[in-house]
Amino acid sequence: MIESQLCQLVGIKYPIFQGGMAWIADANLAAAVSEGGGLGIIAAMNANAQWLRQEIRKIRTLTQKPFGVNVMLMSPFVEEVAQVVIEEKVPVVTTGAGNPSKYMKAWNQAGIRVIPVVPSVNMARLAERSGAAAVIAEGGESGGHIGELTTMALVPQVRDSVSIPVIAAGGIADGRGVAAAMMLGACGVQLGTRFLSATECGIHPNYKNKVITAKDLDTIVTGRRLGHPVRQLKNKFSRRYAKEEYNMAISDEELEAMGSGALRRAVVEGDEENGCFLAGQIAAMVHKEQPAAQIIEEIFDEAQAVLKEAGKWVK
Amino acid sequence: MTTFERVEAQLKEFKDLNPGELTMETTFAQLELDSLDTVDLLMACEEEFGITIEPDENLKTVGDVVERIDSLVAQKQ
Ligand SMILES: Cc1cc2nc3c(=O)[nH]c(=O)nc-3n(C[C@H](O)[C@H](O)[C@H](O)COP(=O)(O)O)c2cc1C
Repeated sequence: MIESQLCQLVGIKYPIFQGGMAWIADANLAAAVSEGGGLGIIAAMNANAQWLRQEIRKIRTLTQKPFGVNVMLMSPFVEEVAQVVIEEKVPVVTTGAGNPSKYMKAWNQAGIRVIPVVPSVNMARLAERSGAAAVIAEGGESGGHIGELTTMALVPQVRDSVSIPVIAAGGIADGRGVAAAMMLGACGVQLGTRFLSATECGIHPNYKNKVITAKDLDTIVTGRRLGHPVRQLKNKFSRRYAKEEYNMAISDEELEAMGSGALRRAVVEGDEENGCFLAGQIAAMVHKEQPAAQIIEEIFDEAQAVLKEAGKWVK
Repeated sequence: MTTFERVEAQLKEFKDLNPGELTMETTFAQLELDSLDTVDLLMACEEEFGITIEPDENLKTVGDVVERIDSLVAQKQ
């Protein structure tokens, strides 16, 4: 049994979060993860208050266990979404893409445990100061929007700069990754890519298949020119986008327009040519579709075995 | 050194600035500082001036930061 202060903090059996994933992490996936003993998280992405409220009410019909909502701070609906999580008494809120300090006071007053995703030491320090219950240190190996530092370099630096719990994210998909994250000073992990293969994850079969068959060099980072780098699987869309980034005859607006709707085309339509299939480097270690609960159990069985063996290095 | 000059000195850690380029009206957006850079800059200013600055939407220009610092330093005394 692997347990840490994170389990008490949010009321879960295994110290694992399923990361918020735009267009993907809905009530169904989050409920399956929470039922499996982790923390399922609904991604509010760019959706409005009405959609989020429905998903929150739905997850409560699917599980009694704690869950979270991921608030994307760049969303045009961020103000109303920030209010809905209070009204609906969401137990845990994670935040992505920016600095959440503006909302922290109201969320804390509502009794919400706020856990921001941070890509740097100063963001972690600021989060702690503003009242975060923990931080998720996410390295650039991960899928979706990424920061500059790797998990290996970021997690111990964040650990050294704050006294709240640190959760490691980015490039973790099995028990060895969990064990390593704990050695780096994390007391839990957040996974995104591995949960794309969960049976309860409703993405198009083409998407799931692309993740399951991905190899080590199959991801690419695009969007650096616009200041929002994103890791995704290589395909016709991402290769073309990567090329056009260097094409100065194309304006930033045109580039932006090229990317719009691409994730939806991947998730909903499974459009292998024009879709944007977000996934992390660890996709190569995702081999099959299986229920979320089984994924979690498998990971923690392995983590336990690996950690028990760790003493062998000390002579 | 004035507060402005001390802020300018901190900013040079992030940006190559030509002499006279920076004014009180310069915005973070014009400097192409993203939210991470902005937090780093404010934290550097905190150390420089021995104060705590809460980043918020009212801090848009160099002048906003200078004024905030002056008022926080005055409160401290
Ligand atoms: C398809 C996809 C979509 C994502 N969307 C979001 C999002 O909307 N908000 C967010 O904070 N993180 C998002 N992430 C990041 C995940 O929450 C998680 O931190 C990350 O996937 C962990 O790294 P891993 O992919 O290596 O497991 C996304 C990741 C993926 C793979």
